[in-house]
Amino acid sequence: MDVLRFITAGSIDDGKSTLIGRLLLDTGNIKSDILESVKEDNDDVNLAFITDGLRAERQAGITIDVAYKYFTTPNRKFIITDAPGHFQYTKNLVTGASGVDAMIILIDATIGISSQTRRHSMVASFLGIRNIVVAINKMDVSGYDQSVYNSIKNSYSEIAIRLNLDQVTYIPISALKGDNVTRHSYHMPWYTGPALLQFLEACKPEIKADDGRLSVTVQYVAGNNIFGRLVSGTIKRGQNVVVYPGRITSIVKEIINNYIIVEEAFTGHDICVQLELQGTLMRGATITGIGEGPEYSNEFEADLCWLDELSEVVLNRDYILRIGANEVVSQVKEIISKRYIETLGYSNDQKSVSVNEFARVIIHTSSNIAYDNYSQVHETGRGILIDITTNNTSGALIIR
Amino acid sequence: MNHLDALESEAIYILREVAGQFKNPVLLFSGGKDSTLLIHLALKAFYPLPLPFAVMHIDTGHNFEEALTFRDELVKKYNLRLIVRKVEDTIRLKNLEEPGGKFPSRNALQSYTLLDAISEFQFDAIIGGGRRDEEKARAKERIFSVRDSSGAWLPHNQRPELWDLYNGHISAGEQIRVFPISNWSELDVWQYIRREKIELPSLYFAHERTCIRFNSRLVAMSDYIVPDAEDVIITTSVRYRTVGDMTCTAAVQSTAQTIEEVIDEIEQSALSERGETRMDDQISDAGMEDRKLKGYF
Repeated sequence: MDVLRFITAGSIDDGKSTLIGRLLLDTGNIKSDILESVKEDNDDVNLAFITDGLRAERQAGITIDVAYKYFTTPNRKFIITDAPGHFQYTKNLVTGASGVDAMIILIDATIGISSQTRRHSMVASFLGIRNIVVAINKMDVSGYDQSVYNSIKNSYSEIAIRLNLDQVTYIPISALKGDNVTRHSYHMPWYTGPALLQFLEACKPEIKADDGRLSVTVQYVAGNNIFGRLVSGTIKRGQNVVVYPGRITSIVKEIINNYIIVEEAFTGHDICVQLELQGTLMRGATITGIGEGPEYSNEFEADLCWLDELSEVVLNRDYILRIGANEVVSQVKEIISKRYIETLGYSNDQKSVSVNEFARVIIHTSSNIAYDNYSQVHETGRGILIDITTNNTSGALIIR
Repeated sequence: MNHLDALESEAIYILREVAGQFKNPVLLFSGGKDSTLLIHLALKAFYPLPLPFAVMHIDTGHNFEEALTFRDELVKKYNLRLIVRKVEDTIRLKNLEEPGGKFPSRNALQSYTLLDAISEFQFDAIIGGGRRDEEKARAKERIFSVRDSSGAWLPHNQRPELWDLYNGHISAGEQIRVFPISNWSELDVWQYIRREKIELPSLYFAHERTCIRFNSRLVAMSDYIVPDAEDVIITTSVRYRTVGDMTCTAAVQSTAQTIEEVIDEIEQSALSERGETRMDDQISDAGMEDRKLKGYF
């Protein structure tokens, strides 16, 4: 059994929470006491109440922050992120969408593509989410009409092209009635693609290849013991390595994985290593192979999504930049362009970036930092900006 | 990657983040299965070194004897540093009112003791075994959950938390609660316990116990509860699905004596883990949310 993480995104009333409730219910993952607790006065099950966790959310009938739900089928454990729809909570959507394998974008068939649809798609594009499902919901209210489905599909495909979303699957559903959610709907014989659950069961999670470039994120150091995760590649005892910052050459003396001293470890392993190294190595260091990157400089270009509602990006102000476990003082040196949700177009005349906005920026760091292009090693190609005064996580960065 | 490997890796990564980012972390340990799992994950995360932080028990005084014995044996076996702080002392010092009624649970009062201990030892990160699938308020909480200077959770203003970049920066007086097993389900916990051959208190397996029947739940007879004359007292084979206070944790009827049998039973149970066993969640629709606002885990 493996794990697939996915997020559901949609506008208010698109039926996100209902869809999750439906998935949990129809896969037998809701226990009877929970089901009782979401019954309304007339004994109808309100599927949406299954995911709305806070009192304020149940009172207002909307999702404010991300809720995590879990279900399993015989072959897979699913981690669902139910993310808020309202644009004000986009920062929470970004939180929920980071690290998922797939995003389900819900579109209300009776309304069509909205500003929120573009916003959610932009988040998917920003984070580089590979598998996108456009779930066209409320098909029951739309008479299960194929032309409604086709029209939304055609309009969305233009958005997908502009945002470079190349793997989009379109599924007509009714979350309320259960059509094409866990089984194929007899109301829509014209649709021959997978039901949503079928898609999710077949969907490939992001596989990390062992043949990638060697990169260890050093999280904690105690004496000679260096604890960290091998985020990419393979490491062998006796191998020559380069340690950043400083670009110092060393040799791997010992590797421990899962209580055992091993000859080599692979991508994803949480290891403890000892190096033949003069001087002390600290948290935030990166261990890499000889002659295979990463980039090492004090300036790079990145896509930025601003997450802080209390402040805008202030040029040349100090922020803490964090990549992996490494933190350095940095500044946003230049805003190259901003991208607008309504047009999905760029503009280069903007001098500020505020909450829920996207921009291409130049980041300057106070000392050299090791990083990669996001497409090469995800873990060292992404970062956050932390506000020095409030400690808030204020920005998300993807290095392009 | 196998789901247990993925969950284990996530938890180890989080525990190492705590050691790397904080000056004075502590792990909350009650002798229950989730905090026992946490200790085993931490032992693995920091091997070959011992745990780089202490473990702490907030003791309500209403314990199952088996859980206390287990706690002390585990502490001895792995040479852990154990801190115990008692709710009883807080009640006396702060002149708090002892809860009354048939099931006088000190569960809500634990928050005072916890917050006092945090300030006594100046803990900046407090690791707990909360899981998101347990309860709807827990389903909303971040892995690194910032608590303000009064220990309160601010559910409407949680920090963004992206990928595995857990932001542990806090101001003086603030603290971070850390939940390494957020993404584990009850079944995942049991499957992992089976795979790693982790020992648990005997309470988790079927045994004979004298209980009273209350609202279709079985509550163990003890000095801490106040049965009525008309209560039906029965002795039967039970086990505990969760282990909390004797006053607010119900047993389930069971003959499951092995991990295999326990797993089978959970898979077939019509009820959720807390729904079947926790009387403190039934108080209101937002029982857990309210307690968290006051510093609870």
